[in-house]
Amino acid sequence: MKTQTLFLHLSPLLIPYVSLFCAGVVLAAVQSVGLWSPVPLPSGLGAAYTRLWSSPWFYEMFGFSLYVAFVSALLATGGGTLLACGIWGMPALLRRMSVIYKATLILPHIAIGFIVLVFCSQTGVLASLARLVGMITLPVQFPNILYGGNGFGLILAYTYKEIPFAILMVLGLLAGFDRRLFDCARMLGASRVRIFFCILVPSIAPAMHSAFIILFLYAFGAFDIPYLLGESKPAMLSIEVYNLYFKRDLTNRPLALAMLMLMFCFSVLFIMIYSRVVSSLTARERKL
Amino acid sequence: MKHAVLFGFLLLLFVFPLFVLVGYALDPAWRYPQLFPDHIDFRSLSFLVREAGPLSRHMGGALLYSLSAVVTTLVMCYVPARILARVPFSGRNLLEGFLLAPALVPPMTFAMGLHFMFIKIGLADTLPGVILVVSMYSYPYMLRALIAGFQATGDDYVLCAENLGAGRWTRLIRIEFPMLVPSIMAGGSVVFLVAFSEYFLVFLIGGGAVPSFTGYLFPLLSSSDRSLGSALTLVFVFVPLMLFVMMEWFVGRAYRRMGLDV
Repeated sequence: MKTQTLFLHLSPLLIPYVSLFCAGVVLAAVQSVGLWSPVPLPSGLGAAYTRLWSSPWFYEMFGFSLYVAFVSALLATGGGTLLACGIWGMPALLRRMSVIYKATLILPHIAIGFIVLVFCSQTGVLASLARLVGMITLPVQFPNILYGGNGFGLILAYTYKEIPFAILMVLGLLAGFDRRLFDCARMLGASRVRIFFCILVPSIAPAMHSAFIILFLYAFGAFDIPYLLGESKPAMLSIEVYNLYFKRDLTNRPLALAMLMLMFCFSVLFIMIYSRVVSSLTARERKL
Repeated sequence: MKHAVLFGFLLLLFVFPLFVLVGYALDPAWRYPQLFPDHIDFRSLSFLVREAGPLSRHMGGALLYSLSAVVTTLVMCYVPARILARVPFSGRNLLEGFLLAPALVPPMTFAMGLHFMFIKIGLADTLPGVILVVSMYSYPYMLRALIAGFQATGDDYVLCAENLGAGRWTRLIRIEFPMLVPSIMAGGSVVFLVAFSEYFLVFLIGGGAVPSFTGYLFPLLSSSDRSLGSALTLVFVFVPLMLFVMMEWFVGRAYRRMGLDV
């Protein structure tokens, strides 16, 4: 196919990609260095970046966002993989009925945040249960999951929302998995754990890797759940960007956009490094 | 036994919370330390009836931009997906990687840049603006599903039809498109859900002028009235669920009519 025809056929996607996505990123970058500001800025070009560079709160937030995203993506991928393997091993009827896991997939993130609120707040369903079994007598004795300052509420909400996604991805790959490999390993005397790690995991690893990347980066940059569960200190980066952009005066906008640009660059770098590491690992495995 | 336990766990994890929401919706007075709701009060449900006008306006708005996003992403991705699946050219994997990026990188980055541009060209606070930005964020799911669909179906049938003298449009409408319907449905459902449950992008670009159900829901969820929040969340699950059931039924019937079994 000639290059011209190729471009012509790709153009329905390339034109909006360049004119909306790339343009959006470029405009964010331009504004982040202080150009095209709606108000005259007191400091020079690129001041936002130097300010972030020397702000301890920025590192703290960055670390906190990484931590919440990493832990929740890890838990969701791990839990989702185990559940998917369990569902896959079920008899056909139960397996078909297991589509109930998709209920959480339909709910928007803010509704998941709400469910976590209803269950885990100090006057929530779990607190009532704890009182019934005599573990606590007053609401304040129930562990402060949501506003304890350690991000547990956010991690819980993301993990809960993301487990069905991981199940979906892993089940998709398991559908094409040859069960006879499984039986063969059993007959040769492999233990269940060994079968799981040596046979199942390598064949569903691609789905686990994609699920992890998607979930990690989503939780890292998303806004909805932290906005609803609203832990203010330490805060997720996206919440601070929102506050700087909408709630303070206009001179703070370059700062907000600079934070977004750094998050963007981090995400791109993360995808590149992660896929490089994964492909080198699989290459080594093949040699063995 | 083992399987039944696992199934029970799935029920507890994914369905039980919805029943708790039903409990809250029916009994606004249910709170700590009661473990179960103990009476029925239709206050929240009567709110839904009383607010039926704004409720359906926001629900309709959300359905409108979500379904438009499905159509927009399909139009955007159809031909490029065929090329990416079938035509080998250098740099194809790299290009595909770049094209999938909008679903991975934080959407706030490009959306805030776009917000600036949309204000200048008058697309901010309009329905087309919202459709464009939501499509831009969700199209990778459609693209991925279509590429997988094109790879799975191969072009044998299309070649055969061409040999038998079918024209370009006949091939597209009667051969290629029907075979891709499962992929389109898979990609379309994800695009729909992503668009329908998005709060921030719609709020940013729509600016409150474009009615959205998440925008309607948010203040109620963050208020202290758990009963209303529960009732509306249930409405939120119900509408897409009905849509999916209808779609399954409709497509299944169409397939049986064509004599295909799915």
